[in-house]
Amino acid sequence: MFTIVRDLIRYNIEFAIGLVILLLLIGAVVLSFFSPYPPSDIYVVPPDMPPDAEFWLGTTSRGQDTFWQLMIGLRNTLGFGIGVAFLSRILSLVVGLTAGYAGGRTDRVLMAINDSIMVIPQFPILVLFYFVLKDDMNWLMLVLILSALGWSYDARLIRSVAMSLRTRPFTTQSVYSGMSMRKILVEEHLPYVMPIVFATTMNNMIWSIGMEITLSVLGFTDVDTPTMGQMIYWANSHSALISGIWWWVAAPVGAIVILFIGLFLLSMSMNEYIDPRSRLNRMGN
Amino acid sequence: MKLWRKFLAGAALAVLASTAQAQDISNLPRKETVIIENPEGTVKNPGWFNIWVNGGGGLSTGLQQLTMDTLWYIDPDQGINGAWYNSLAADKPIYNADFTEMTVKLRKGMYWSDGVEFTADDLVYTVQTNIDHPGMLSSALLSVSVDSVKATDPYTVVFKLKKPNSRFHALFTVRWNAIWVMPKHVFEKVADPVKFDFANPISISAYKLKNYDPQGKWYIWEKRDDWQRTPLGLLGEPGPKYAAYVDGGPPDKKTIAQLKHELDIIHDNTPEGMFTLVDQSKSLATWFKGFPYAHPDPTLPAVIFNTQKAPFDKADVRWALALLIDMKAVDLASYRGAATLSAIGVPPTGVAMTTYQAPMQEWLKSFELDTGKEKIKPYDPTIPTQIADMLRKQPKFKDQIPTDPTAIANQFGYGWWKPNPKAAGELLEKAGFKKVGDQWMQPDGQPFRVRLTVEGDSRSVFTRAGTLIAQQWKQFGIDAKAQPTTNPWQPMQAGDFDTAIAWSVETWGGDADMSFFLDSWHSSFVAKPGEVQPARNWQRWSNPDLDKIIEGIRGISFDDPKGVDYGMDYLKLVVKEMPTIPMMSYNVFASMDTTYWTGYPSFPDDPYTDPVPNWGNSRLMMIKLKPAQP
Amino acid sequence: MTGYMIFVARRFGQLLLVVFLGISATFFITHMTPVDPVAETISVITNFGKSDPEAIDLMRKTLTELYGLQGNVFEQYVTFWSRLIQGDLGPSLSAFPTPVSQIIFRALPWTVGLMISATLISFVLGNALGALAGYYRKSRILKIISLGLIGLQPIPYYILAFILLILFGFVWPILPITGGYEMNADLDLSFALVLDIIRHSILPALALVLVGAGSWLTGMRALTSNIVTEDYVTFAELGGVGSTRILRSYVVRNAMVPQLTGLAMSLGAIFNGTVITEIVFGYPGIGTLLINAVHAGDYSLVLGLASLSIVGVAIAVFLIDILSPLLDPRIKAE
Repeated sequence: MFTIVRDLIRYNIEFAIGLVILLLLIGAVVLSFFSPYPPSDIYVVPPDMPPDAEFWLGTTSRGQDTFWQLMIGLRNTLGFGIGVAFLSRILSLVVGLTAGYAGGRTDRVLMAINDSIMVIPQFPILVLFYFVLKDDMNWLMLVLILSALGWSYDARLIRSVAMSLRTRPFTTQSVYSGMSMRKILVEEHLPYVMPIVFATTMNNMIWSIGMEITLSVLGFTDVDTPTMGQMIYWANSHSALISGIWWWVAAPVGAIVILFIGLFLLSMSMNEYIDPRSRLNRMGN
Repeated sequence: MKLWRKFLAGAALAVLASTAQAQDISNLPRKETVIIENPEGTVKNPGWFNIWVNGGGGLSTGLQQLTMDTLWYIDPDQGINGAWYNSLAADKPIYNADFTEMTVKLRKGMYWSDGVEFTADDLVYTVQTNIDHPGMLSSALLSVSVDSVKATDPYTVVFKLKKPNSRFHALFTVRWNAIWVMPKHVFEKVADPVKFDFANPISISAYKLKNYDPQGKWYIWEKRDDWQRTPLGLLGEPGPKYAAYVDGGPPDKKTIAQLKHELDIIHDNTPEGMFTLVDQSKSLATWFKGFPYAHPDPTLPAVIFNTQKAPFDKADVRWALALLIDMKAVDLASYRGAATLSAIGVPPTGVAMTTYQAPMQEWLKSFELDTGKEKIKPYDPTIPTQIADMLRKQPKFKDQIPTDPTAIANQFGYGWWKPNPKAAGELLEKAGFKKVGDQWMQPDGQPFRVRLTVEGDSRSVFTRAGTLIAQQWKQFGIDAKAQPTTNPWQPMQAGDFDTAIAWSVETWGGDADMSFFLDSWHSSFVAKPGEVQPARNWQRWSNPDLDKIIEGIRGISFDDPKGVDYGMDYLKLVVKEMPTIPMMSYNVFASMDTTYWTGYPSFPDDPYTDPVPNWGNSRLMMIKLKPAQP
Repeated sequence: MTGYMIFVARRFGQLLLVVFLGISATFFITHMTPVDPVAETISVITNFGKSDPEAIDLMRKTLTELYGLQGNVFEQYVTFWSRLIQGDLGPSLSAFPTPVSQIIFRALPWTVGLMISATLISFVLGNALGALAGYYRKSRILKIISLGLIGLQPIPYYILAFILLILFGFVWPILPITGGYEMNADLDLSFALVLDIIRHSILPALALVLVGAGSWLTGMRALTSNIVTEDYVTFAELGGVGSTRILRSYVVRNAMVPQLTGLAMSLGAIFNGTVITEIVFGYPGIGTLLINAVHAGDYSLVLGLASLSIVGVAIAVFLIDILSPLLDPRIKAE
């Protein structure tokens, strides 16, 4: 394991940068537990202070320290994105691989469920859930709802790959050699769809975090729990973009961009690592 | 392939060329057009102009401001010739002795925009059609009160009422809006007035429809050639030839549009948006020349208790929660200091300032509250001065904060309750509460839990106030939390709330008569718990003394000076009982741009009307506006 | 061929089932809303004007009757389907008695026009760059472009849109910032109107493309780098086939099936993405309609919009399913 990481760092600058970003994020998450202020209290510091030595990222118009809000917000948003991605990846892998491999009736039943979930328009449903749940519409609830809505698209993608995998000679060989379906899927097909899973994980996180931000901007989430969306909601409701409090918007946006560039670099370099030909290629140089 | 490329290049060039030259937002002559924000945003069913049915058309698209009219107007401020204006009526309403009959004399020589004269038949038709069609918005309002309506001659209408009603005329008196008169000659030809879209709206006011966006983003109205033959025209010639009401978009975008001089009147803004305009626009006009710039609307945002729900049924608990609020901090957090405070149950604006707020001061200063352990004087008249002093320390506001006590009272209010956690604790103990550790427990041993419902993103100022108030309660050991919702009126109607920031007090503004909201506070209208509460007594509060006051007001005429005495009695009663915690007026950050038009209303120079453009009364601006460029 | 026809017929049956299940689920979810459309209508009067409690009670009763809201949810469900089968979406509750279909079809062309063009532009751009970046993995320029697009992608759309609006509408004011065409425009079809509409759509489309292209790029890049290592590509390279040809005929063609599946679904799902565009750029469309309908408890309008979206996505998925055996011969039609 260690040698793999060392190799990757040595030969792959993308991986190195991605790793640094990842470590920074983990640092932020750890740091967030040491915030000197309770996360939802307002007017604990002077409002509207630009970034300086005391307030590294300035303060918000609500009298909160942007730095600490960002740390706690990053923790919540990361947890949120990872939670949704993890749960929905599992669902989409199970459904996609099974449907694509089994075909026939299993495929049709699974795809009927899959498609029914997929065709339901997410946005109005989320807004309606907010109306119905009100106070109970917390962070965890949103993770569960978004996971339940966010797997079907990728399950279809995985299924389409699995369908073509099924016709490959190596699958046929595995079947003849008596491997069970579970084994074929996990050992033979899963590695093959992993690059897609990595790519869709990123897209899924962008989707779920984007959804959280959209709902927040419209005021449909818990406005007390700091997240990237909640920060943008409050910044927006205080007209931060036009009244010169740019750090209030720049901090969460910058953090999200860095987060995703890090994720992208990692998934890109890992794909290359998984794929032996390109690794040889690189070593050869 | 080559042809294809040529075509693309040509198209791109054409777009660029048109971009370079066409910088105007419309093809109307800009110097003759006033562009006004419609706060309704995008209208759902743009082609629907039948304002008497809720058909998804807009109200504030200019339709109710510039083409509709009715019998009387009461301005929230001074008006052009006084707050009261006889519009289509020639005189004030005439009641019989026991208020069971109201006679209206109508103006002669008023014409619809298609050349037909307005007569008593139109008014009678309006009332009868509404009563006959339950799907019309005012149907129920009219059918519960009107026994019969008759035109005794073309300019006189007599209403016979089902029961005595000294304020029946209020249905036809514009405060924001009222029941508008219908053109009989158009509607009588229609099979079903409820399904009629009134696509070509006939106007009885000085403007008529020129064009509208089928996507509901803009409405353009054109001055009528015969504007003199309308009640608005009697006040003078309207300045703008065209008035466009547009969807302004989110606050930041409106602010940018006004800085670009593409939006003459902004309806409302965030405080920060307003400060940005003050800072960056060289052509800005506002209601107050300095802080807080905004127009205090005659509505009274308050912390409304659900007084049917324990423990909010106890005045001591309500008072305790009031004494835990640090209004200075709430003011700064919500309005950034730009609020006009009120400790009493009447909005600090219009005639209420001289009729109620100022005269109440002596009583408030000597008002004593019994906490069970001691008597305290909770009122603090210095709070507005303290806020003014604090704001004066900020360099960018320095020159805009008045020092004169009257100006401070007008702009920041007269005073508020002084935070007093000790007295609050004593009051809670008096009500049987106990503090266990850091947490206050109710008499039954349950933790004291308060949810404060606030209006989410559409009124962010109140969300801000609510989050801070909840925090202040929480710091005292109460399990308190603000709960944003898109429409707080829904849970309030259903009684499904603890406390909410909203308003249950709205006054005429320009008139001291309290009946506009107070009548609906009578105990006979309070719904049982779990049932739907009719407007406006959202606090579901009843009190025998209050009923006596309301019945007293019902028994006198609306212009009887005794009404003010009843008003004072009401104000003193609600201070003692605290059914809602009044906070401030609803300050609306309406801002105006003087690049193309001047003559906007302002205080104290010429407070002729509310500049907030969705008010029907804002039509007076058309008369006063003068072109700024030749 | 008959095998294929059976497959299509079966798949069509599944389409009908999915549409039925999707619409039914939406029906019951929307009817859970605590928002009462009658109360919303009443608040039109009481929030501003004079109100008499007795009158309001009366109004509530008559409106409930008028809107056809009596009866339990199941009765309303039956009524809903019997109307829908005849193609009638019923009257809107917040714009009574205007038919829901009239309200939707007025705004729909704008959403469809903007979202389809923006989606296609980002699809072509993202996939072209993604294929190149996956194939020429050492190119520095492609890496920088990829990183740029990937960095733009997670920026909250609201913020990106607003920054574009401030840049091109205020700092360097060359583009209109609001509406689908200028105010008081003559809406009869003309060259000037087309130019005006294009001009007004540049900023919204640009914002959509900037945030949209990144995800196609990453997807395509991952697919391409997978395919590049396949034996047939290596053989082709060894056999001296030019790299342009390899890229076009071997790589892109094989990566296209999953990407087209994605495209079909994102075209079907255009209903989701329009709200913020409409809010920021004041662009006409169904997003604002949807939010307003949810706020007003107008479930007939919400259901109308949702049903359209369900049918749209279901048909897109159906088409992709029946086309993919034709595009990729390795996928068997069954």
